[in-house]
Amino acid sequence: MSEHPLADEAFEPYEPRRPVPLPVYWMAIALALWGAVTLWNDSTAQSSGVGQRLAEAGDMTRRHSAAGADLFAQRCATCHQADGAGVAGAVPPLQGSRFLGANPQLVVQILLHGINGPIAVGGDRFDGHMPAFGSVLDDGQIARLVTHLRATWGNGGEVDAAFVKAQRQATRERHASWNGGADLVSLDPAVGPQPAFLSAPPAPSDSVAMALARGGKAGGWACAACHGAAGEGRSGVPRLAGLPADYIAQALLAFSTGTRASDIMGPIARQLDGPERVGLGRLYATMASASRARPELDGDLARGATLALQGDDRRDVPSCFSCHGPSGFGVAPIVPAIAAQQPAYTAGRLAALGRHGKDDAGAAVMPSVAARLSDADRRAVADYLATLPPSPAIDTDTKDAR
Amino acid sequence: MNRALPLVILAMTILAFATMLLVVVPRAQIGSEPPAAGLRAYSPEELRGRAQYMSLGCVYCHSQQPRTPDQAPDGERGWGRPSVAADYAYDSPHLMGTMRTGPDLLNVGARLPSTAWHLTHLYRPRAIAPWSIMPSYPFLFEIKDHAAPGDTVVWLPREQRVAGKVVVARPEAMALVAYLLSLDRTYPAPASAIRDDGYSRVGGKP
Ligand code: HEC
Ligand code: HEC
Ligand code: HEC
Ligand code: HEC
Repeated sequence: MSEHPLADEAFEPYEPRRPVPLPVYWMAIALALWGAVTLWNDSTAQSSGVGQRLAEAGDMTRRHSAAGADLFAQRCATCHQADGAGVAGAVPPLQGSRFLGANPQLVVQILLHGINGPIAVGGDRFDGHMPAFGSVLDDGQIARLVTHLRATWGNGGEVDAAFVKAQRQATRERHASWNGGADLVSLDPAVGPQPAFLSAPPAPSDSVAMALARGGKAGGWACAACHGAAGEGRSGVPRLAGLPADYIAQALLAFSTGTRASDIMGPIARQLDGPERVGLGRLYATMASASRARPELDGDLARGATLALQGDDRRDVPSCFSCHGPSGFGVAPIVPAIAAQQPAYTAGRLAALGRHGKDDAGAAVMPSVAARLSDADRRAVADYLATLPPSPAIDTDTKDAR
Repeated sequence: MNRALPLVILAMTILAFATMLLVVVPRAQIGSEPPAAGLRAYSPEELRGRAQYMSLGCVYCHSQQPRTPDQAPDGERGWGRPSVAADYAYDSPHLMGTMRTGPDLLNVGARLPSTAWHLTHLYRPRAIAPWSIMPSYPFLFEIKDHAAPGDTVVWLPREQRVAGKVVVARPEAMALVAYLLSLDRTYPAPASAIRDDGYSRVGGKP
């Protein structure tokens, strides 16, 4: 029972009117101002972001609609030289080449699928690889490039995108490069006599490896399900086609022993034995497939090109191509191809190698290079590499013999 | 109670203001965003899988929203480009999630396109990553003596098989995997799409 006698049961407590202290008003106004300024800043960041992205899209379109001469400088001059003179004994000249004077179909086909095998140009014999540009240049770009080539070194005459489209359509079943001049002469005999192409005998373990790649080991996971039917890779899954056979076999061994950690590849590689690893290596090394890689990490392509071609002295990063070959096609047996690799994989692998490089400095070459790349540089170089044509299928038998 | 009315009005105003900022304005901003070119609607089977995904609580451990490079290295992890509003046009409700106990899954169909791999992983995550803390979902599978025609047998490493038995995926598991494989937003984002720019775009290149 309450002992309080004074309580008026109906009494409601109330606050007497007192003015709000001035500082509280000031604080409220300051907070509101701060909010408004933040909102304003944010919205300008947003609109400048959108503006920047549209400008970049514009850059991209400009890149896509670059004139034939610029495309030649970007894509061909490293090998064929800016004046089209070629490199004696290694890269044939375009100057005075009968291939440019012939039916325009011929040059278009060379650009779409590349050449692999001996070829005679201007009386000299060459036996190298001409990369396939079909998967990295669109019809319009190829048309402008061919028009430029023919105007500079051929008989002139315009080639339009519709013509390239028709040519692409006519040979869409073709995955491999043209087998040297002997194959090309069938398109137009005007190119003159060509050396014969001797095909390598099929490797004996192909059918076993093929079954593994398509069906997996003992009903396990098929390599093709993740790495693609032609080893072309997908976003985040690396391209295997055209990597050196020994590199692939070694990578599989490293996955199985755990020296290279991967939750996904570890259990798969542990199921394989030595001959199967070697067979799979050969299978993917000799596979020709179009590039499926496209820049996707928002990297700075110009910076990526600088890193790949020249490196960056200030950061002590050597040119990537000084080790990975002049076009990023790798150098058998152990330096992998990096051209046309899936950018998310390249950037992720560089980050992983870089962490390794920081742990034990000076151990292997690639980790210490990767450790010096910043996050933006990794994305830049990965995106740039994704714009390059894929490495040609490696002919393991002739490579071994060389 | 005295001065009840001003209190109620004040409370209502605050609520209305919050609703305005958090619901109405965003809705007006992104509600009319068309689906991104390259995005396709889910098939009926994928939608059944999506229902499984929700009911099994995958969203508590997996996000579906890759971030910009300055927020997290998601691109390098292989999780895909930063997502934009147009990527979720067919997601109702969206399953963006908040927790990243496991990897982001918005592009898992591109990163891990193998049905067989997903079945093994759902049946026993530890057959793939011994350290995995993801729960196994054995009730999506059936252990049988023989696989009937049309059954999908789940592959397991040699040492984890049950002698004389096979593990077969139930339709629920197949639907869930179909949904996982449909998670693929690797097409380029529209340049003008609404997105979260993070801090990378303020005052210049990232
Ligand atoms: C990696 C170096 C490399 C690059 C880059 C390259 N080529 Fe070639 N190209 C070659 C080689 C090597 C051959 C000879 C192929 C052979 O021996 O089988 C060749 C052959 C040719 C031929 C036929 C032979 C001739 O000289 O007429 C043409 C045409 C040609 N290239 C055009 C181009 C164009 C156009 C580009 C740019 C889009 C280009 N190449 C980029 C290396 C390259
Ligand atoms: C479930 C998907 C999946 C399957 C199936 C798969 N892989 Fe992989 N593979 C990957 C991923 C993801 C990586 C990247 C690993 C990393 O991050 O290092 C990879 C990496 C590799 C690499 C290293 C590539 C490089 O450039 O260093 C090789 C070689 C390889 N896989 C071969 C195979 C072979 C051979 C098979 C079949 C026996 C196979 N993979 C099956 C997903 C898969
Ligand atoms: C000093 C020689 C050297 C230089 C310079 C070099 N690399 Fe490498 N790189 C290697 C070797 C060797 C390997 C193989 C490492 C292994 O076996 O794992 C490799 C591996 C790689 C891989 C992994 C490939 C795969 O398929 O998994 C990537 C990606 C790569 N390099 C990118 C680059 C980039 C980008 C640069 C330029 C910034 C560069 N490299 C510069 C020697 C080099
Ligand atoms: C307790 C948290 C948790 C829950 C709940 C969970 N996961 Fe996971 N998940 C993980 C972890 C941790 C990993 C990484 C380890 C691994 O691969 O198993 C993972 C990995 C994965 C991966 C592989 C992703 C990659 O990139 O490697 C897939 C796919 C996946 N989960 C799907 C699912 C699905 C579908 C469900 C619901 C049925 C689910 N998860 C529920 C924690 C969880």
